[in-house]
Amino acid sequence: MTNNNYNPLLIYQANKHLFKRGDVHERLGINMSNDSELLKIQDLYACIDDTSILKGINLEIKPGEIHAIMGRNGSGKTTTANIIMGHPDYEVESGTVELNGKDLLEMETWERAREGVFLSFQYPQAVPGLQVGNFLRKSVAATLGEEAAKGKEFRNKLKESMKELDIPSSFLGRYVNDGFSGGEKKRFEILQLMLMKPKLAILDETDSGLDIDGIRTVAKGINAAIRGTESGALIITHYSRILEHVKPDKIHVLISGKIVKTGGPDLALELEEKGYDWLEGKSES
Amino acid sequence: MKSEELYLSLCEPDNSNHLWRYSPWRKVHPTGKVREIPTNYSHPEIEISLLDGSKVPDSLSIDKEDSPDKKNNFSDPVSMSFIESISRDSKFIFKAKKGTILEQPVVLKINTGSANSAINLSLEIGRHCEFELITLIVGKPDWFGLLRKGKIGEGSVINDVVVGQMKRGTLLRVDAINIGKDSQVKAGSISSGSDRTKADLRYMMDENGSNLRVLGSILSADKMHIDHHIEIYHYAPETYSRLDWHSACGGKSKTIGTGMLRVSNGSKGADAGQIFHNLLLSDKAEADSIPELEVSEHDVVGCGHGTANGPIDEEQMFYLEARGFSPDDAKDTLIAAFLNTTLSEMGSDKLHQWLAENLQGELRTLTT
Repeated sequence: MTNNNYNPLLIYQANKHLFKRGDVHERLGINMSNDSELLKIQDLYACIDDTSILKGINLEIKPGEIHAIMGRNGSGKTTTANIIMGHPDYEVESGTVELNGKDLLEMETWERAREGVFLSFQYPQAVPGLQVGNFLRKSVAATLGEEAAKGKEFRNKLKESMKELDIPSSFLGRYVNDGFSGGEKKRFEILQLMLMKPKLAILDETDSGLDIDGIRTVAKGINAAIRGTESGALIITHYSRILEHVKPDKIHVLISGKIVKTGGPDLALELEEKGYDWLEGKSES
Repeated sequence: MKSEELYLSLCEPDNSNHLWRYSPWRKVHPTGKVREIPTNYSHPEIEISLLDGSKVPDSLSIDKEDSPDKKNNFSDPVSMSFIESISRDSKFIFKAKKGTILEQPVVLKINTGSANSAINLSLEIGRHCEFELITLIVGKPDWFGLLRKGKIGEGSVINDVVVGQMKRGTLLRVDAINIGKDSQVKAGSISSGSDRTKADLRYMMDENGSNLRVLGSILSADKMHIDHHIEIYHYAPETYSRLDWHSACGGKSKTIGTGMLRVSNGSKGADAGQIFHNLLLSDKAEADSIPELEVSEHDVVGCGHGTANGPIDEEQMFYLEARGFSPDDAKDTLIAAFLNTTLSEMGSDKLHQWLAENLQGELRTLTT
């Protein structure tokens, strides 16, 4: 092969099984991904303690899109969120999860966070002794760089976001999620979302345990963080209430570890009316 | 009886004794020959200033002391008489005049240098004083002994924090403090130095209405052996105490916390509780906590004790890593948070900020 015939794309395609895709992209200076997809999940099978939970998930989210996953308890919704974030208790049996073409499954949790994945936890952990203000500064510094966590701009953004979420300034002196009410925990998760500006936000039952006003406030925060940006979101929920305030582009129904139906915003209302029984045994494939 | 005579008259304490169970006296004694009272110990440097570097006001003083040692009935005679015997030339009295109120914490810095030494320090804190006292111990000796005894006067509000940061050797620390009527005292201990620490901390509440919080933030690493024994005496009605002790134990270190709450007959309305938390940072680290109660009064508000041991919580790690913290950062942050829960209770924001920065530096040194 002469220099004239040197084609890095062909070399890559012939040998891609030998490389980590992200490494090759960077080294060859080319974008191999389908850049119309922010998140791409293909044939994802996963288990916990040898119990199969996800049985072939396929999902694609484009930049600026908000998708929702609905389903009964135990259908695999939280497992999907945890797999994307890299929870160590879950094992991926097969399949791929890519963010902007980069293989998330090759990354550690903290690398995924720095790559732009954010998980709003269903049950956020309390960390007594760690002050909220300190934690927020460190989180923003870790994901967006030291400069982003300093100075007036950060302080203004913090102040503005707290105001939007009705969070008093005294909150900054409290310990992370320690003694927080259910609503405070969820609003604190959204505050982090607004400050960390991720590429992909996964919101795991962020609406659970919230009253109507709480849902409105949280929805306002989600819209502010995602709408009109190149970011995307995956909302995991049991209920259609939050979807009245954060209009999803697509809704997926997950039953027994498989997406059995995908539809537009109206699907939430249909589910509200009919429940999930009518979808039992269906498969989208 | 002089202190030397008293010491030599005592038998070597038995290991079955709660106080000496985990750190036998012969291992704490500077030569291991328990009948020996070393002589010609050097004089550590002692400096007093306010935290902002300014001079202390005239209402505070620290001077050499010549008067005979006062005895009390609640200290362990072995360690107390031993330190008294070897510190005859390093005997000081710290006085705070009645009504001394200070915004800035007072820093009493003891620099042991590299030679063995001991200090016998009497505290005389007058009535209605309000200030914070940091006793900072630094140096690289093989052995250092610190005896602090005295009284916190009626109605005073005092935050008294001892920070042990010797780079090596053995630290023997003995506290015997009377808590005055209606006074409010926070007694904090921060330990992140010394190969071996043996501390015997005792607080006597024999006047009505006193309020005491004893707090510990202990960080051990390598092969450190850190042993704190805390005794709190409720010998008067309406007395309140809480002991909250947090130890983070790494490397092959061993951390011990033993507590004894004694509530005498007649201490009606006493309210006492103690809890020990141990965070195990490695498989080879060991932590023992033994809280004990002796309650002779029925009419109490409550007396309770507890202990909790465990490694770093994996779900907390995941939460921080999901926010971009690297595993090392997440671990350091959780250790600092664990120690901060007691540290932040030791005093004012000013004091806390100083302690937290100080401990963060130690944390970096010990965990890297």
